[in-house]
Amino acid sequence: METAQLTTARPAPAVPARRDWSALFAYLLISPPLLVLTLLIFIPAAQAVIETLSTTDAATGQTTLTLQNYIAFFQDPILVANLEFTIQITIATVALLFVIGFPLALYLRFSKSRIAAAVQVLALFPLFVPGVILSFALIEFLGSHGMFDTMLNLIGIQGYRTPYQHLQGIVIALVWENIPFTVLILTAGLRQVEDAVVESARDVGANFWQIFTRILLPLSKRSAMIVLCLNIIGVFGAFTIPYLLGPAQPMTMGVSMQQTFNRYEDRTGALTQAVITFLFCAVVGVLYVRTITQPREGQR
Amino acid sequence: MGNIKRIAIVLLVLLIGSVVAACAGATNAPAPTSAPAAPTSAPAATNAPAATSAPAAGATPTQNAADIKPPSSGENVINMYSDDDSNIRDWLTNKIIPAFLQKFPQYKVNLISVRGVGNGPRDIADRAKAALDTNSDPLADILVFDCTTYPALRQADLWVKLDDTNVPNRKNVINSIKTSDCSQPYRGSQVLLAYDSTKVPENEVPHTFTDLLAWIKAHPGQFVYCRPDKGGSGSNFVVRAIYEVTGKDPSLFKPGDPDPALLAKFPDAWKLLRDIHSAIYDNGAYPAGNTQVQTLLANGSVSMASVWSDQSLQALQKGVYPPTIKLVQLNDLPFPGGYNYLSVPKNSRNVKGALEFINFLLEPDNQVSVVKDLGGFPAVDWSLLPKDLQQQYTSVITSNVPSWPGGKWTTELYKGWYDNVATNIKQGSP
Repeated sequence: METAQLTTARPAPAVPARRDWSALFAYLLISPPLLVLTLLIFIPAAQAVIETLSTTDAATGQTTLTLQNYIAFFQDPILVANLEFTIQITIATVALLFVIGFPLALYLRFSKSRIAAAVQVLALFPLFVPGVILSFALIEFLGSHGMFDTMLNLIGIQGYRTPYQHLQGIVIALVWENIPFTVLILTAGLRQVEDAVVESARDVGANFWQIFTRILLPLSKRSAMIVLCLNIIGVFGAFTIPYLLGPAQPMTMGVSMQQTFNRYEDRTGALTQAVITFLFCAVVGVLYVRTITQPREGQR
Repeated sequence: MGNIKRIAIVLLVLLIGSVVAACAGATNAPAPTSAPAAPTSAPAATNAPAATSAPAAGATPTQNAADIKPPSSGENVINMYSDDDSNIRDWLTNKIIPAFLQKFPQYKVNLISVRGVGNGPRDIADRAKAALDTNSDPLADILVFDCTTYPALRQADLWVKLDDTNVPNRKNVINSIKTSDCSQPYRGSQVLLAYDSTKVPENEVPHTFTDLLAWIKAHPGQFVYCRPDKGGSGSNFVVRAIYEVTGKDPSLFKPGDPDPALLAKFPDAWKLLRDIHSAIYDNGAYPAGNTQVQTLLANGSVSMASVWSDQSLQALQKGVYPPTIKLVQLNDLPFPGGYNYLSVPKNSRNVKGALEFINFLLEPDNQVSVVKDLGGFPAVDWSLLPKDLQQQYTSVITSNVPSWPGGKWTTELYKGWYDNVATNIKQGSP
């Protein structure tokens, strides 16, 4: 419905007749994805928001607009703890991804050795491992009396405490899972920095640190932003890994939603959590959209 | 030139990005329906429908089991619908049905699996009711279904009344599990304590719930039970704590809407469990399933745990548990469990054959097979089974298997446990 309005109303008044056709064609081309988005995402999302914003009086059957569900969320210490837990995991994971991903990307960008190819394959490997498999592998490996514990014992280290069913376990798995994406985008960004720029800097006597901070970092800011935004959104909404590796309490928002909906049979509560999660991700989403629509710096 | 190259790179990045995003989405998005099923539907889930199975709201029926039709129907055909796990279906197909046909060669038995299809046997029950109204063939003779879970059909008088005359072996069945005259229990499973006898000396083994709590507190980190919504071995431990604070009388808990007076006592149970929280394995790390608990016990991380009888007996048989693992039941009030029930619709075209099959399942030989081949509990009194078998299971034999009504009761249990026991946050005013 919305697309139909767009196609007829928008282009008609101002533009000349010949270009009208091409505009119509363009709108026609984008209408299927727009239709899918509207029907499967926007409408259900709007319904969810409306449901969480209204309460129906049991006695009179009257529906009123209220923030009651949201107030209840922020007054429930357990739900707030879940939100904080999710934010902690997101910050820790994304920070670690940069610490690991940036050196890897730099190495892959500038090394021409054969080892680099092997490192690239290794860095991309997690892309082909589903989260469920990864989680069970980590449980076996990191669990108490698991392989890691046994190895530590062999070299005489005792008192290992497993990260499984703790925040650390979730972070380890999420970092592992997201390395390929981070490295791919960062490497692609670094490849846009032409060799000539780096070489001329080297010619005038810049050391590695200077090249990194003055040239590479500013020029790959854009890809870093893309990685940052998409990783935050992905980690914040992650479900499988926190579900399988996390503690009973607190839970990440994804797990909490499932629990509230499925186990406590509280639909509105789950929807409220979903809307709050969406709002957090939307802020990052806006940042992402601004980054990719912004005109490129240093365009010649 | 440079522009084209740049655009190509951006396109490539976007393409890769979207592929990655799609992959990430694929692992994240469908998980709520697929992944959780794995940890919750451990083998025991089928043995104790009341305690382990997720609430119906969780299952999103994509199909209707009633669309499944048997290959044939009639006076000499027995169509049995089951949502059991494959180990149970294998046992029926390879062991019970051939033995039955040897004794009753006039019949043909079709075992039809409706596991994971719509609402399973419940859909078949609905179909039978529809057939009753229109006086047509329900195409069903036996359902793996407990008639008490669906009062509407019971009131509609859909089921054959079972008694000692039409099912002669019913007289041997443990009285407390004959919950109705429209369903017949034939095998069960119960939660027990499993302990490592090398670490827990015989004189320390707890035999009452109070002793157990004291033992847990005295041995921090050595006991574990799983999250109640992730496995019945955990939920029945929690149920046992609720029984403890409500006068140890399971009969107070009736199916349907929870009794507010009893709900008001739940916080006392949370207090009991909260008290042992920090003495649970890894400072209160509750595993997410029956199997994970078994693993912790088998690898020596803990020395005692609450477990399912059938899973543990199988674990001992298969060597998953070292032979030093021993099983014991509490003797003040045992841990709850569940039985598997069979029902026969009145309009079945072969009521006689269906009843004969049910009666056959209750024969002592087949009840022995329940214990030996399935690791389950018999529905008939233990005293009717061979002496050596009784001897072997003497520590776990009980004549009383409390059963939890499920439904809304379970919802209250989950929320109460997660909000009061598993968290370090004190729940303030609502």
